Amino acid sequence: MLRRIILKTVAAVTIAASTGLAASAQTAGPVNYIIPFGPGGESDISARLQQPFFKDKFGQDMVVSYQPGGGGAVGWASLNGLNGDGQTIMGINLPHIIIKPAQKDVGFKTEDLNAFYMFHYTPDAIVVTADSPYQTLQDLIDDAKANPGQVTMSGSGKASANHLAQIKFDKMAEIKTTYVPFKGTGAAVAALLGNQVKAEWGYTTVGAKQGEAVRLLAVAMDERHPLFPDVPTFKELGFDMVGGAYRGLALPSSASEETTKKWSDIAAEINKDPEFRQKMIDGGFALLDIDAEGMSDFMAERTEEYLKDAREAGLIK
Amino acid sequence: MDLGNFLSALTPLNIVLALLGVAAGTVIGSIPGLTATMAVAVLVPITFSMEPASALILLGAIYTGAIYGGAYAAILLNTPGTPSAIATTFDGYPMAKRGDGDLAVAIACFASVFGGLIGALALLFLAPPLSQVALAFGPIEYFWLSVFGLSLIASLSKGNLLKGLAGGAFGMILSTVGVAEISADIRLTFGSQTLIAGFGVVGALIGLYCIPVLIDLVAVPDRHLKMENDVRSVRIREAAQITLKSKFNLLRSSVIGTLVGILPGAGGSVAGLVAYSEAKRNAREDQKFGEGEADGIIATESSNNATVGGGFIPTLVLGIPGTPPDAVILGALLVQGVRTGPTLFQSGGSIVYTFIYGLLIATILMLPVGLLIGRYAYKSIVAIPKAILVPAVGFMTIIGTFAIRNSISDVIIMICLGVFGWIVGRFGFAASPIVLGLILGPIAEQGFVQSWTIGAATNNLAGVFFGRPISQAIVAFTLLTLLYPAFSTWKQRRKTAKAGAN
Amino acid sequence: MSKSRILKSEGSIGSLLVSAFFIFAGIMTLYDTTGYSDVDSKVFPQTVAIILIICASGSIIYQFMRPSTEGGFGQGVWWRRVMLIVTMLVACLAMPYLGFLLAGSIAFAGGLISAMHDRWSVGSALLFGCCGLLIMTAFYALFRYALLVPLP
Repeated sequence: MLRRIILKTVAAVTIAASTGLAASAQTAGPVNYIIPFGPGGESDISARLQQPFFKDKFGQDMVVSYQPGGGGAVGWASLNGLNGDGQTIMGINLPHIIIKPAQKDVGFKTEDLNAFYMFHYTPDAIVVTADSPYQTLQDLIDDAKANPGQVTMSGSGKASANHLAQIKFDKMAEIKTTYVPFKGTGAAVAALLGNQVKAEWGYTTVGAKQGEAVRLLAVAMDERHPLFPDVPTFKELGFDMVGGAYRGLALPSSASEETTKKWSDIAAEINKDPEFRQKMIDGGFALLDIDAEGMSDFMAERTEEYLKDAREAGLIK
Repeated sequence: MDLGNFLSALTPLNIVLALLGVAAGTVIGSIPGLTATMAVAVLVPITFSMEPASALILLGAIYTGAIYGGAYAAILLNTPGTPSAIATTFDGYPMAKRGDGDLAVAIACFASVFGGLIGALALLFLAPPLSQVALAFGPIEYFWLSVFGLSLIASLSKGNLLKGLAGGAFGMILSTVGVAEISADIRLTFGSQTLIAGFGVVGALIGLYCIPVLIDLVAVPDRHLKMENDVRSVRIREAAQITLKSKFNLLRSSVIGTLVGILPGAGGSVAGLVAYSEAKRNAREDQKFGEGEADGIIATESSNNATVGGGFIPTLVLGIPGTPPDAVILGALLVQGVRTGPTLFQSGGSIVYTFIYGLLIATILMLPVGLLIGRYAYKSIVAIPKAILVPAVGFMTIIGTFAIRNSISDVIIMICLGVFGWIVGRFGFAASPIVLGLILGPIAEQGFVQSWTIGAATNNLAGVFFGRPISQAIVAFTLLTLLYPAFSTWKQRRKTAKAGAN
Repeated sequence: MSKSRILKSEGSIGSLLVSAFFIFAGIMTLYDTTGYSDVDSKVFPQTVAIILIICASGSIIYQFMRPSTEGGFGQGVWWRRVMLIVTMLVACLAMPYLGFLLAGSIAFAGGLISAMHDRWSVGSALLFGCCGLLIMTAFYALFRYALLVPLP
């Protein structure tokens, strides 16, 4: 069976591949872009959006592969053991890479990761269904004040961006809500749409994906998101909350400085493309340009903030 | 109404793509370790240069082919090629062992095509209303669904229920190893870096099912499968008759598969187990499930292929992927600029309908393709000398496990788990309860924690756990499954007592 | 059947040992859960560990009440079983140094020799060796180049 299967598969794949992969032969080889999560999440979608632009601009194929496990930890712990020749890059996510190593030894440390670019973030947002009684953020706050703990809010995971945002906002608004963790944003949104919970701590991307089925109450951005001009920022409403989950790229630490610089430029180049920007904004993402040089300042600032929030929330010691 | 969409699905290019996709998918699915998710993910970039509808047809065809292909390894090697074929091993391998492997493969093909058609038709006609099923299922329903799945342990553990339950509990403990998915802890790693990744389902399946078979194969000189002396004609007609005779089972399992497929977070493996459990409960007295009963294969294979169409329902209507391959396809759709949501079916629906017709065509094409590949697969597995079969399958387990997330430690864990499974299996602790625990454990845990959190917050724990109609129905089915064997023996006893009295 | 006979049978000793291992695993789980910071991560493993301990203990008691000699390693050649597994493990450990194909051929050769029950001859050795090479190369090519798995 094996031989036949192999022959058939090779034949089938070759035929299927000849339509698209023909160009890869004359380049240095495809770039392996590892997402340390399963498919379908924000990390995957933004990588998929980068994929065609990379090919367009640099002529090489970008192969997105998934290496889920341990909430990303498995991938990041393996990153520095990979070849640093610039043919392998990996997606990185904040706050994951800061919170996880602070909790327990997960096989990597935040500072071990050779992060070279942060290209977007998904701003935190409170999402409710279109028929929810909460018309404004104030409605939710009032309800939570009247019935402490009874306002249930779904979100993706614990000690995650959603969870930290919930803890932070509860403190700022002096309310008590109940956070219900789900596996991934998709499940958290399904729970919201099915009225299993009253609201969701999600991202602007949820609003973009669900369209008219949901309403955003507020977004954690400096200015309003172009896709949702009617949705106020937390700042406008008097809460100093800006942030969300940040996503970027990292190389193995063995990569040379030139390689790192080259990749930082590549990511910047893709981020500059107006069509890419538009696609990202349509998807609800907020673009960000932190290159290799600005990375250490950015990381230091974020690390301090996340660790402070997590410590106050009792998530780390 | 949309003849135009149907015709545009029928272009020669699309048909060729569907054919290639089904063939490639079947082959990929038959190799343990190569999952539909992976096959679809690798092909996504290729589809960027295609028409969106053609791209979707190719991806959907690979997906549906892979789910069917999983049955080959399950029947011929006792190793599910994809997790959704777990329950196919229960009856498929015993059939192959007694020399009916060709029949089993053909039955699997008919059942898969039927289930696939039901799923795709549900997607075509009922997608928007059915998507509400995904939303009606809250955490507590997932919890009870997993308990229902676990109740299958009672009937799987032949003779010794305690051993089966212990195995199931051990499997659930294995499932908690590593970084907790919805709470903020790292569990049961005992300081090991390797264990942070946890026990992946696919790797564990390969280990627990395939390695024991290999160990037993090398130990004795007997043949792998019973060889028939006479070269019989292909048993397609016989398979078709058997499949059609179980039309009620076929329909019930396909509906179960469609509904479970709609649930994000359940998937083909749960669908197969639930359908198997139901088929077993409704079995006639002369049917012996677990010993090579064709209805077991029919139930699993029709339901897992029905999840393909079912899984696309929440994916396309709600933008919430039903299964991991759906998640990849959803990503590809977004890049293509297709926005999912209820409006997709109303306004810009042409792509969706072309795709659904394409999926239907691919499913129908699976009949000839699947029977053909299945025949070759059976013939080669039977004819190949053991001395080649064992190392080839062993090599396949290594490369397949490695490919899941490019990790050698995964392969080592897989082998160790396999040896462990072989040893405990020798003393009456079967592998299947452990696997059930491993697969259903996370669903049970998440559902429980979420329900508890919500119930505690709203001071209504009893209402959350027992007050909702869907969960009440699932609990009733669970009780029925658990109590039915006792009931039927009681009835049997009464019958014989009566006969004796007369 | 007397108690001493039961304890001598391979099946019952094995059953007892496996049950004991499961009890041990349950206790280890309970011990591990004491270190968790989040209540949500405790509930499930604790409940399941208790179920595991109860069922495994029950299985031990059952063993004494209804003695059975079922189970055991049965017929079969031990060196073949051991060789199959050991070569597979060696292949994994050697893989980072030897590369996938070379390390894989260790496992392949091990499996081939342990599964070969007929008499070896030059012809069969050559034939099987070539088959093995062909299968491995084909698989390697499929994964490496078609599915783009970064094999070492």
